[in-house]
Amino acid sequence: MIVQKYPGADGLAGTTLRINLTTGEIKSLPTDTRLMREWFGGRGAIAKIIYDEVPRDADPLGPKNLFIMSAGVMSGCFIPAGAKIGFGSVSPLTNGHGDSNMGGHLGPTLKFAGYDMVIMSGIAPKPSYLFIDDDVVELRDASQYWGMGSLECEPALKKDLGEDFEIATIGPAAENGILFSCITHDFGRQAGRTGQGAVMGSKKLKAIAVRGTGGIKVHDLAGLTEHVTAIIKRTQTHPNMEPWQKYGTAFFIDWSNKNAVIPTRNFQTTHYENIDGINGEALVEKCLITHKACFGCWMNCGKYTKAVIPGKKTVYLEGPEYETGALCGSNLGMTDINQVAYLNWLLDNVGMDTMSGGGVIAFGMECFQRGLITTDDLEGHTLNWGSVEDAEHFVDMIVNRRGIGDWFAGGTKRAAEKIGRDSIKFAMQVKGQEMSGYDGRHAPGMLLAYMTCDIGAHHNRAWTITVDMAEGRDTVEGRAKVVVYLQHIRPLFDCWCICRLFWGELDIEPEEIVESLNHITGWNIDTAEALKTSEKVWNLVRCHYLERNRANGRTFDYPPARSWEDKIPTGPSAGKGVSKEQVETMLDEYYACRGWDNDGNPSREVLHDLKLDFAADNLEKIGLLGKPLPDGIPAVRGERYKPKAF
Amino acid sequence: MIIFLKAGGQLRTLLKPDIDHYTRRVEIDGLKTVAEILEEIDVNPALVALIHVDGKLKDFSYKPSDGQTITLQPPVSGG
Amino acid sequence: MEIKRIKVVSSKCTGCRLCMQICAISHHEEINPRKTRLKIEAHFPEPGVYKPRVCTQCGKCLEVCPENAIYRREDGAFIVIPEKCTNCGECIAVCKPGVIFQHRDLDYVLICDNCFKCTELCNTGAITIHTRVVKEDK
Repeated sequence: MIVQKYPGADGLAGTTLRINLTTGEIKSLPTDTRLMREWFGGRGAIAKIIYDEVPRDADPLGPKNLFIMSAGVMSGCFIPAGAKIGFGSVSPLTNGHGDSNMGGHLGPTLKFAGYDMVIMSGIAPKPSYLFIDDDVVELRDASQYWGMGSLECEPALKKDLGEDFEIATIGPAAENGILFSCITHDFGRQAGRTGQGAVMGSKKLKAIAVRGTGGIKVHDLAGLTEHVTAIIKRTQTHPNMEPWQKYGTAFFIDWSNKNAVIPTRNFQTTHYENIDGINGEALVEKCLITHKACFGCWMNCGKYTKAVIPGKKTVYLEGPEYETGALCGSNLGMTDINQVAYLNWLLDNVGMDTMSGGGVIAFGMECFQRGLITTDDLEGHTLNWGSVEDAEHFVDMIVNRRGIGDWFAGGTKRAAEKIGRDSIKFAMQVKGQEMSGYDGRHAPGMLLAYMTCDIGAHHNRAWTITVDMAEGRDTVEGRAKVVVYLQHIRPLFDCWCICRLFWGELDIEPEEIVESLNHITGWNIDTAEALKTSEKVWNLVRCHYLERNRANGRTFDYPPARSWEDKIPTGPSAGKGVSKEQVETMLDEYYACRGWDNDGNPSREVLHDLKLDFAADNLEKIGLLGKPLPDGIPAVRGERYKPKAF
Repeated sequence: MIIFLKAGGQLRTLLKPDIDHYTRRVEIDGLKTVAEILEEIDVNPALVALIHVDGKLKDFSYKPSDGQTITLQPPVSGG
Repeated sequence: MEIKRIKVVSSKCTGCRLCMQICAISHHEEINPRKTRLKIEAHFPEPGVYKPRVCTQCGKCLEVCPENAIYRREDGAFIVIPEKCTNCGECIAVCKPGVIFQHRDLDYVLICDNCFKCTELCNTGAITIHTRVVKEDK
């Protein structure tokens, strides 16, 4: 059908789609510019809509959950690395607000087609895909694509619709309700975290295909063009540019190992003896086909590769990037980059997040190592460290939910609950989501970042490894205020739907990015206001989590016991680790810094300061509103970090 | 002899560039490893993820020659 | 006299499309990579290469144009006269690299006019300016 379109405010496409998948009804509405202004589109607007509209008792995989796709206010607007698209829903993995984003070309294309946001509810009666071609929006039959791998479905749809469609797909994992399923686009870009693919699968939505030929109107195109062109030209000679373009994120595998933070064999230790086989150099030497960039990005961190393993078909993929390299590499005891790349492809194609997926396989391998699961449970197979064959068979059991595969389909936490025998101690997750590729035992700020991350353990919200290195890895004091600052600035990029990698990497200051935002939108805001908006989103997400899970926040913020019970056994950080007391100290400092009470519940004062009185009322009704802080709340929460020696 | 160290990001603030926005001129007596040079100028090697010389990767044991430019890259999260 | 055109090294292209964006911005004052005068072809999943397609200045468009709406400028560029162009598409049919474009908002075709804004922003050297000196006919 041809939908009604609306003119957009500066920086916005103008139209929002609301689609009831159960009835097939497609409604187009003018994009709520106030919502975009107050919540910054992307992650922020998604958080607000989910908070307002999804009932607290709704099953994340049921019809009442919403599945939202938003391109934010900056995606596609000639801003460097302005290529992201955000997905959000109540996460089946964490049972709280979940959002995840990916680069590629889909976000900008959605806006060129005229849409800022697509809000989907219900469950389609049969496998479907969403077709958007400028003004034409349809739910189409996807029976012929259902069951296909993510990476196979994308070329199939391109063949049927045209090369110029941008396509997001899910794989069999998402179709079968594996809770850590991802969404794939552009042959290897993923929105991996919080099980957004699982929600898409539960809605019987196999794919989203978008073609857009319109433009985006911005507030001051001449100013924006001059500003952005200057940034691009200035950074072309930045010292980080050449190595970054050459190696991308995979390079940090080596560094991470040297500095003893790389997860090894399910976070048993932090130093890996076979790192040379799986590091960034190995990737570039053995697997690289071409460097690959997202829309409008001049620093191309993407590495398009192929994996060649004797006896298996040669596979093409994007990656492995750092996280996959760590979590499907050292964390599984793999010794060759081709193995890691093959597993990367395997998980991408079945549609599992390579981070949670790597974590889940590693947890399975440690259970096998300890005899908690045996070959009898594994259809006669083993599950040994470093075996691609074993990992591939185990993944097949999970995707198809055969035998104990079904236990692992809900991630490590749920698997540990089934396996019992204290395995929860080494289920490396927080709030149900698996940790990223850094061990926090000798990087306490990073551990705190995982513990307090609003969507379950994830590095993206606050990455403090270098802060830990600079400030001292054995102390925890003062780390909380840095974590809070990072938790404000980093998710801002997810609100705006732009990539954050150019910010730290190329010395592009937050103020310059806010200036771009002002050129695009004409909002004329400053960095402090931007950070406060991000803090508002963070607090709303926290309230949402408490309202759904009904206990004091602190009870959800602990890492698995391995994090404080086991000292690191080998490598440069041998004998090191945080204590339970240090974990408690960090939480105390963190809550005080956020203006939350010592139980980890936001106080009315801080929620009022953030104009979230409605959320304070809701917390009060269920007895989870934070007690007033004895000395009041800090005027500014979090502190911008400057390296010590400066 | 004179070598030039170049860095951006968080490392730049530690390096204290003096020639241009990213570059610091360092005078050293005789051949020294990158590790030794970094220690002399008080840059924490844990914050150096990558050493790049003339488009090639080197490690901390590399000994720069007179006039060479050594690019240091800080670690960044991602992927 | 200098003849200029865009030179392509496909292996260096990362598919970012900054070139297409700046092309549209500088000619049409609009962020819309569809109003472009060059394009990036992506060949994925296999073999996994990007191919920038640009005007090679072969001149076929000028030959077939029934309206005399295209002329060749001194610097080598083939310039479309919007007032004369009827958007008939004859030139598109003969353009081998497929770099003559139409857009629903415009009533004339788009051909590269050698502004080279795209080469300024290309950060990998996939597209650069190629200059050839030719003797002037007297």
